[in-house]
Amino acid sequence: MKMAVIDPAENEVNKNIWIAVGTWRWVANDDNCGICRMAFDGCCPECKLPGDDCPLVWGECSHCFHIHCIVKWLNSQQVHQLCPMCRQDWKFKE
Amino acid sequence: MSLRPRRVDFDQTWATLLQTVKGVITFGSVARSTWNDRFSDVYALCVACPEPLGDRLYQETKLFLENHVKSLHQTVIESNKENLLTVYQQHWEQFSKGSSFLNQLYGYLNTTFIKKQKYSDADLNYGGFTVELTDQMLEIGELALDTWKKYMIEPLKQQLLGLISLEIESDRHGSCMNQSVLHGVITSFVDVEQYKKKLPLQLYEEIFETHFLKETGEYYRSEAAKLRDECSCSEYMEKVIKKLIEEDVRSCKFLHASSHGKVTHECQQRMVADHLRFLHGECREMVGNEKLQDLENMYTLLKPINGGLGVLVKEVEEHIKSFGMEAVRNLKGVDVPAQFVESMLEVHSKYTELIKKVFGTDQQFVGALDKACATAINYKSNPKTPCRSPELLAKYCDNLLKKSSKGSSESEIDDLLGSCITVFKYLDDKDVFQRHYSRMLAKRLIHGQTASMDAEELMINKLKQACGYEFTNKLHRMFTDMNVSNGLQEDFNVYLKEGPTDLGLNFSMLVLQAGAWPLGQSNLPRFAIPQELEKSVSEFEKFYNKKYNGRKLTWMHGLCTAELKMNYLKKPYIVTMGSFQMAVVLMFNETIKVSFSEASQHTQLGEKEMIKQVQSLIDAKLLTTEGTLSTESVFELNMSYVNKRTKFKITAAIQKETPQEMEQARSAVDEDRKMYIQAAIVRIMKARKIFKHNQLIQEVIHQAKARFAPNIAMIKKCIEALIDKQYLERTQNSTDEYSYIA
Repeated sequence: MKMAVIDPAENEVNKNIWIAVGTWRWVANDDNCGICRMAFDGCCPECKLPGDDCPLVWGECSHCFHIHCIVKWLNSQQVHQLCPMCRQDWKFKE
Repeated sequence: MSLRPRRVDFDQTWATLLQTVKGVITFGSVARSTWNDRFSDVYALCVACPEPLGDRLYQETKLFLENHVKSLHQTVIESNKENLLTVYQQHWEQFSKGSSFLNQLYGYLNTTFIKKQKYSDADLNYGGFTVELTDQMLEIGELALDTWKKYMIEPLKQQLLGLISLEIESDRHGSCMNQSVLHGVITSFVDVEQYKKKLPLQLYEEIFETHFLKETGEYYRSEAAKLRDECSCSEYMEKVIKKLIEEDVRSCKFLHASSHGKVTHECQQRMVADHLRFLHGECREMVGNEKLQDLENMYTLLKPINGGLGVLVKEVEEHIKSFGMEAVRNLKGVDVPAQFVESMLEVHSKYTELIKKVFGTDQQFVGALDKACATAINYKSNPKTPCRSPELLAKYCDNLLKKSSKGSSESEIDDLLGSCITVFKYLDDKDVFQRHYSRMLAKRLIHGQTASMDAEELMINKLKQACGYEFTNKLHRMFTDMNVSNGLQEDFNVYLKEGPTDLGLNFSMLVLQAGAWPLGQSNLPRFAIPQELEKSVSEFEKFYNKKYNGRKLTWMHGLCTAELKMNYLKKPYIVTMGSFQMAVVLMFNETIKVSFSEASQHTQLGEKEMIKQVQSLIDAKLLTTEGTLSTESVFELNMSYVNKRTKFKITAAIQKETPQEMEQARSAVDEDRKMYIQAAIVRIMKARKIFKHNQLIQEVIHQAKARFAPNIAMIKKCIEALIDKQYLERTQNSTDEYSYIA
């Protein structure tokens, strides 16, 4: 997307292109994952790199875990799938 | 002729047999039919009835052989002294061949009569015999040889030895007449006992070799002493090498193969090992002046001597070290990084070449080179300040990988990066290098200064090879982020097209993962974004939050760049600048003059930052002000700005390394090290449960070696910290022992 420069006034300075830089980090209600106890800024024990390959998920109860950790936990539950922190039914928050 | 045993008249048969035996042993001519008849005679005697006559045949033959050899001995000693060896050798030649034929003639006796009484191999090897083996019966061929030994060699040995020594002595002076005779005589000592299963070389060793080695030793002792008096060291070495080779040839010519090594060893002992101190004394000077030929000779001489090379290796190491140090100490002027890397490589390649050529890439010397290079590369001009080499090397790589680096070709860059790895491997503080490297890589990526992504990746792979996955994983993540950002950018563009909003500018965004990039998250400067950009910011945030859940975006305004078009000048200029600079410049769209305080208020930048930004604009001549810049200054646009180029950057001043950044990098390294050491301690203690202080320190140093050389004080502090955090405790019964608290 190239911006056309419209006929400028005498002393106009036009901004043309802006390359912005930002960083992101997780915003969670805690520093560590309640299951693996690893920092959210890091990854779960199974992964080597934190970031997009080891994302966080939130449940409707607002608790937050590494996706790998909570999926592993849910798979190990036979009957009810509960949040390991608050024991409410686990539902992924949309 | 029947094979059946029959009565045989021994005396008569023996008389005829004896004739043939004489013929055989003297190597005379024997007709085939006679041979066949005599062979049958032997058979007939052995199976004769009523009593087999084998025993008698054996005794008679033995007697005959004894007499025969005795008479030969007579002829030998009667010959004059010069000829004695020749005569001996001739007779031996005849006799040994004759006896092997005789052995065949007595084939039946050997196989039936004598074999039975012989000890088997197993008996000989494993049976603890105390009986003299000479008492047993021998096959006829063996008997003949044994007789030769007893009645020829034994009585003659002093004389023979004396003569052999004389001959060899004259050969050493280059005038030996009859080599084949000499060789024949010496091998007769071996051959005469060849049939023995146990210690077949005993006779040779006892009567000849010991004596010969002693004489050789004596000879070369005096030779060496003579040479020492006459020659300089380099001549001495040349001559000694020549002598060694000659003596080697000589022993191949005359001696049994088992003696070669012993002779060479003896010569080396007398001419090299005995003069080790002398030779070692010369090493320093030779290494210092790099006399290649001399060094090569020295190496050839010293290598086989036990403990001979140590001094030479040490000298080489010192020499290379002094060169390297010299280079490191003399770094100054422009482009120190290039100077450093290039001079180190020069030293390294020069001496690698030398070691290859002179010392045949001997591992001891390669080790010396490595040690010397490591010392030079990790040299600290001041023991209190950290070593600058990792930083210099990183900077050098940065210059290589940046755009506009002298336009080197891809393969050149490849080679240069490869040589960076050579230097890198010697670094003690690899973690410091990594810090600086990742910082510079981040800048290259963010500011789009990378010349070639391929080269970047190549370098990272090289580092990975040298140092492992963990070392480079942050660097890899930075690359991943760049790719992710590109994808994100495309999605955002689609989002914009579908939406009603027009940002009014060409916006692109890099979203980086906070942990992976060496960007300070704390104390970001305060900054109010120019309102022209606000829409972009809010749109992107909206987009981003919709796309990703639970992520917090932080804008790194200090790293943003903008391209502005200056339409107020005679020609339109396109200028690339930082966000802060842009914010100041954009104010001039509203007014002609801007005061410092207005600008501060508008942009919310702190005073220091403000001065830096405005100063850079003034330096670039885009703005003017009266006098030096201060908080009271008022500045305006330079309306008569001229530049040859219509597109240029003024970001350099902002992107330049600040000393604070360097300082930050250094302290960050220290923090990292503490974490690394603590982790190592916990790992070790978890495995050992209880461990002694000194052992723990050793183990930590060992584990950290691939990354950095930790200092003991830091390890101690880390242990203290872990005790405070209750990971460890001191054991009660010992002061220097820790135990792990699970």
